[in-house]
Amino acid sequence: MNGPDPSQAETAAIHIAGLNKHYGAFHALRDIDLTVRRGEKIVVCGPSGSGKSTLIRCINRLEEHSAGRIVVLGTELNDDVGNIEGIRREVGMVFQHFNLFPHMTVLENCVLAPMLVRKVPRSEAEALARKYLEKVRIPEQADKYPAQLSGGQQQRVAIARALCMTPQIMLFDEPTSALDPEMIAEVLDVMATLASEGMTMVCVTHEMGFARRAADRVIFMDKGEIVEQAPPERFFTTAQNERTRQFLSQILNH
Amino acid sequence: MTVLAPPAPTLLEDLRRRYFATPLQAAVSLFSLAVIVFLAWKILNWALLSAVFTADGGPEACHAAAGACWSVIAARWRIILFGLYPFEEQWRSALACVAVVAMTVLSCIPACWTGRRIAAIWVAGTALFYILMKGGIFGLAYIGEEQWGGLALTLFIFVTTCLIGFPLSIGLALMRRSQLPWISRTTGIIIDGVRSLPLISILFTFAIVLPFALPQWLQGDKLYRVILGSALFFSAYQAEIVRGGMQGVPKGQEEASMALGLSYWQSISRILLPQAMRNALPATINQFVISFKETSLVVIIGFFEILASGNAAYGTGEWRFAYVEVYVFIALIYFVFVFSLSRYGAFLERRMAVGER
Amino acid sequence: MGRLLRNQKVRNGLLQALYVGALGMLILAGTLIARRNLAAQGITSGFDFLFKSTGWDLNFALLPATAMDPYWWYFTVGILNTLFLGTFGLALATVVGTIVGLARTSSNDLARLLGRTYVDIFRNIPLILQVFFWYAVITHLPSPRGAQPSWGMFLTSRGLYVPAPNVGPWSLTIAVAAILAAIVLPLWIGRTARIDRPLGDRATLQLAAAAAALACAALALLAGRLPETPFLDMPALQGLNLRGGLRVPPEFSALVVAIGIYGGSYIAEIVRGGFKSVGTGQMEAAGSLGLTAWQTFTLVRLPLALRAMLPILANQYVWLMKATTMGIAVGFSDFFMIVALTINHSGQTIEAIGLLMAGFLAINLSLAFFFNRINKAIALKGNQLRG
Repeated sequence: MNGPDPSQAETAAIHIAGLNKHYGAFHALRDIDLTVRRGEKIVVCGPSGSGKSTLIRCINRLEEHSAGRIVVLGTELNDDVGNIEGIRREVGMVFQHFNLFPHMTVLENCVLAPMLVRKVPRSEAEALARKYLEKVRIPEQADKYPAQLSGGQQQRVAIARALCMTPQIMLFDEPTSALDPEMIAEVLDVMATLASEGMTMVCVTHEMGFARRAADRVIFMDKGEIVEQAPPERFFTTAQNERTRQFLSQILNH
Repeated sequence: MTVLAPPAPTLLEDLRRRYFATPLQAAVSLFSLAVIVFLAWKILNWALLSAVFTADGGPEACHAAAGACWSVIAARWRIILFGLYPFEEQWRSALACVAVVAMTVLSCIPACWTGRRIAAIWVAGTALFYILMKGGIFGLAYIGEEQWGGLALTLFIFVTTCLIGFPLSIGLALMRRSQLPWISRTTGIIIDGVRSLPLISILFTFAIVLPFALPQWLQGDKLYRVILGSALFFSAYQAEIVRGGMQGVPKGQEEASMALGLSYWQSISRILLPQAMRNALPATINQFVISFKETSLVVIIGFFEILASGNAAYGTGEWRFAYVEVYVFIALIYFVFVFSLSRYGAFLERRMAVGER
Repeated sequence: MGRLLRNQKVRNGLLQALYVGALGMLILAGTLIARRNLAAQGITSGFDFLFKSTGWDLNFALLPATAMDPYWWYFTVGILNTLFLGTFGLALATVVGTIVGLARTSSNDLARLLGRTYVDIFRNIPLILQVFFWYAVITHLPSPRGAQPSWGMFLTSRGLYVPAPNVGPWSLTIAVAAILAAIVLPLWIGRTARIDRPLGDRATLQLAAAAAALACAALALLAGRLPETPFLDMPALQGLNLRGGLRVPPEFSALVVAIGIYGGSYIAEIVRGGFKSVGTGQMEAAGSLGLTAWQTFTLVRLPLALRAMLPILANQYVWLMKATTMGIAVGFSDFFMIVALTINHSGQTIEAIGLLMAGFLAINLSLAFFFNRINKAIALKGNQLRG
């Protein structure tokens, strides 16, 4: 197990120590310690309600943590508004339900944040957007509205939109759970390409094939705790914990 | 409809099936028909066939006739439409009304539905209206608000109410759904408090009571105080409509904009509001319709808007008997505005129900 | 300092304090300025004025009220007047709305056309214009001198003269209360005795309660009867004026008619919406069970439609209740007009406005409470799918 090492806080991409999160009386995250190195790809899995989504939503402050420390790219995530804005600028996120802006075209979705947040001029932002739409293999859909695209296409736009902010870290919150089976592969392919190019990634997903292919480390969570973490080959063959084995047998045998 | 046509029934057969299928049906049909024919004939006869149209004969010509006395309108339309506005300058008042109508029509066109365009249209339209009415520049003679009246005053109150009330309603809605408990609770009390009061009492408070509670230099003209009160009332109702529209925007939209690093105001103005306003559009138009009708209440506070000028038009000596014609005329003016606006709202609602985009 | 301002929690706290503080200051400043201004006019703030006599008369009062009476009595009379006007206006609006609404949902084209025309016309003309119109119509009727009686009533420019019972005011109040009880009691029994009594028992109990209440009403009327007068006081022409009977002032009739007609057009739409919300599936099911058209209507369509209508109807009633304030336009002494006159005569501005707000809040809240109770009582139990 990677224990919390204070010296890593400055150099690591994400450094989490003693993280706790309560929703009223419900204890959603218990004493999470986690360090993600720059360029590392992590897959988080676990049964529903295990706190895995909450964990990655804490990393860009979509959820406020109750106790503990989160340091992202050397910046402490606390009540300081400047820090929060700075971290969100460097951390991209992809959601289960895409969350594309339905009243804007694909291109507008992509150029919005660079223009407003990074103050990139429109022409430059559009060039950037077209580059990333090319990368997710849908350059021809730039002028359509999200509702005119299939689920897989929408999710790829969402990835392109996040990439347009040229983030150093990407968070994926169950990116394929809302997709029809035949569209899952196209999204996973894009994610795998991204991984091979050295992006730091934290993915909450049940796609164990993807975990085998792209992850450096797989983390299993249950009841708000990290139960087990290991490189994929070890994780899938010689899991230590009973709960992990049970979970794996459930999702691998179906 | 792509149903294969059944063998065409004869006209008589069709009538029988549609109107006389059962004894009850037959009774309802006959009764309705009788009412329709009776009313249609009465109204036609009164309004057109036996009516007097020209003012030449004066009131006496009307006494002889059995129908409507439209001469009162022919003789008094200027006072109804323009109130006490100086006679030679009444073209300005008319032009100002046309400007308001043009503004309304423009804002009904979907191509103008961006925050900036709508705001530009309304600010420009209101400014044009104000300059035309008040004068004092461009060689137009100065005419103070106390001389404004009739339709122009009604429209002015309505337009300024919306112009002030609409942004205010968005502000109130945002504060009410704020995550800061004290702000949302206090705003909630304000909104619910205003909504529980009758509009007249608010107009009355702003017109007559507020001067007591304001320092001299802040009191301003009674007209503008009343407009402020009416705007507050409008915004309390509209705020709830806007809030409803905001609740229709999925939570993920805001999360996505936050994750992209947009600031609170950027995410509100670019992501939340455009979608919320689209959701709230039919209810918003309905609120405009209600607000336009309620503008007429300022007559109680003593303004010479169209209803008061109508009362004045028949109130004096010779035309005292012709009140029905005057009220019908004013009702017709209101009807044209309100009916077309509410039809437009219904049309939009249907169009939005059919499908997004 | 800069660091502190960048802190989210500090920022939120400051924002809230600023907002609430600014509002508080605004209210405080307004009150202080108003007090000073009023004091300069020799008006002391406080509610002592409630016990001074008013010095002006009311043109309409359900209970005896003269210029000698104190302000608090006038406010009570005003609230009663508002409720009285509201009750009649709402009742008429409900009747009109139900008829027009049924016409609008009818399968008959002609009836639908009639209903739609009604709604389109009366919904799109401001209520105040309709109030003025009906007031003008009534005040332009022939004067009492030239009026012709119909069914013992006179319709004149001075108001509607109807026969009235020759009964003392308190007995009359008791009788009215008893008649109301005759309606409310059986409903209450129906609600409370639902479970542990068989249907037949309940009906007898309801009947008995209603009969007892009605008997009380009759007794009150008989007991309070003014001696040596005929039971009904008929209006009759005497000289230039009408004497006897009860005069319904033109202000009241104009308001009731206007609120009834305008409100009716809104209620008609609510009724139509309610019926539209009942899915055709429910009716088909009822038909397939062999219910007749009438049974389907009374047992399935109407109860379901009523449940869908009630919440919207409650809002509409509250709105119409507030619309009674238009009484001031034609000079009907409703609550609002009495408040306005109080401000004019006594100068107790802040207190009167406060009472106005409290009064309407109380009316709105009690209406809302009343409808919530009904709503809960008739709501479909459980999470059944509707439509």
